[in-house]
Amino acid sequence: MVLAVGGGLGTAWYMIEAGSRLSTRTSGSWTTWTSAGRPDADPYTRAHTIRNALLPIASTLELTYQAKADSRGGRLHAGCEYVIVMGGLEGAWWSLAAFDTQGRLIHNAAERYAFTSDSVMREPDGRAIVTLARDARPGNWLPIGGSSRINLILTVQDAAYAAAVYDGGHAGRPLPPIQRIACR
Amino acid sequence: MPTLPKWLSEVGWRTVIGALLLGGIIHILATLAVPLLGSRTAFATLRDSLPANRMVIVPPPAPGKQTLPFLTPDAVYAMCRYDVSVDSLLVKVAMAHAGWTLSMHTPQGENFYVMPSQQLRRSEVTLTVVPGVDRLNEFTPTPRRVSGQETNIASPSTEGLVMVRAPLRGLSWRAETEAYLRRATCTPVKRAQ
Repeated sequence: MVLAVGGGLGTAWYMIEAGSRLSTRTSGSWTTWTSAGRPDADPYTRAHTIRNALLPIASTLELTYQAKADSRGGRLHAGCEYVIVMGGLEGAWWSLAAFDTQGRLIHNAAERYAFTSDSVMREPDGRAIVTLARDARPGNWLPIGGSSRINLILTVQDAAYAAAVYDGGHAGRPLPPIQRIACR
Repeated sequence: MPTLPKWLSEVGWRTVIGALLLGGIIHILATLAVPLLGSRTAFATLRDSLPANRMVIVPPPAPGKQTLPFLTPDAVYAMCRYDVSVDSLLVKVAMAHAGWTLSMHTPQGENFYVMPSQQLRRSEVTLTVVPGVDRLNEFTPTPRRVSGQETNIASPSTEGLVMVRAPLRGLSWRAETEAYLRRATCTPVKRAQ
């Protein structure tokens, strides 16, 4: 009896918080809820949206990815330095932001909390290199000090891209890897 | 050869199937109960801070001043908490640049209408939010059109949120972005009886 109740509640919690292949798509470290915001969303996506007080744009237009780990599987941590080379999202509007695990912005003296495709500095080849670190770095520096574990949110607005992901995943346009450079 | 614990070997197959069925039922009930019992929705969080049927500009999220978790921080938001149980709602927005998004949400967070800013499209958008078909039948046979150019959007619920997201291209553009955003309005309009 206890096992049945615990198992039922536990699996429901897992499916609502972490998702599964039924409700999410993954590209490297990035995971998105493919029906987020849609009126025909599955029950797990609905519960995930409500439980986390989210207000997502429909995934037919915009996909919101969350990363909790780097490309080697290590938990993202404010004590480490990471590099993300933003490429492969040409033509799309995107935003990359760092939060703590509760979705709160991380306080920093530079008052910098995100980069978007409009505000990021680009390399001559069009790529944008974003560095996440506690201390200042040249170029697109996104401060992550003051918090322990962090979550990254990548928002991509492109209807054609969203439709392709919904239908078949990220085979054609994988999302940028999160490279860990060093940890303190 | 590994052996099962004694207590496990004494569990009958009927008990195992019964436990699996009970676990499955609890799983389904728990999943379906979250939207019904969840009181901490985005709409509930914003309800007290947003007056009904009025567009309010929300400053860009900052630490300790976030309206919602995980909201894109490099943007200014205009939000209107609407209630179309009595009147319809006329929404006017000037979509200034790429990345601007007009979206409408039910109290459960469903995004039943969204319009991104696009090149080669008129930047001035005028929409009328009316109750959805089921609700509309309770009030009036046909929704009133204020003018021939506007578009009616049927809201699945009488309450909801209109949100305009205006990405900031940089601090130097903030005044211009907010000026455009201040042109966004949501106004109740009478429905024909």
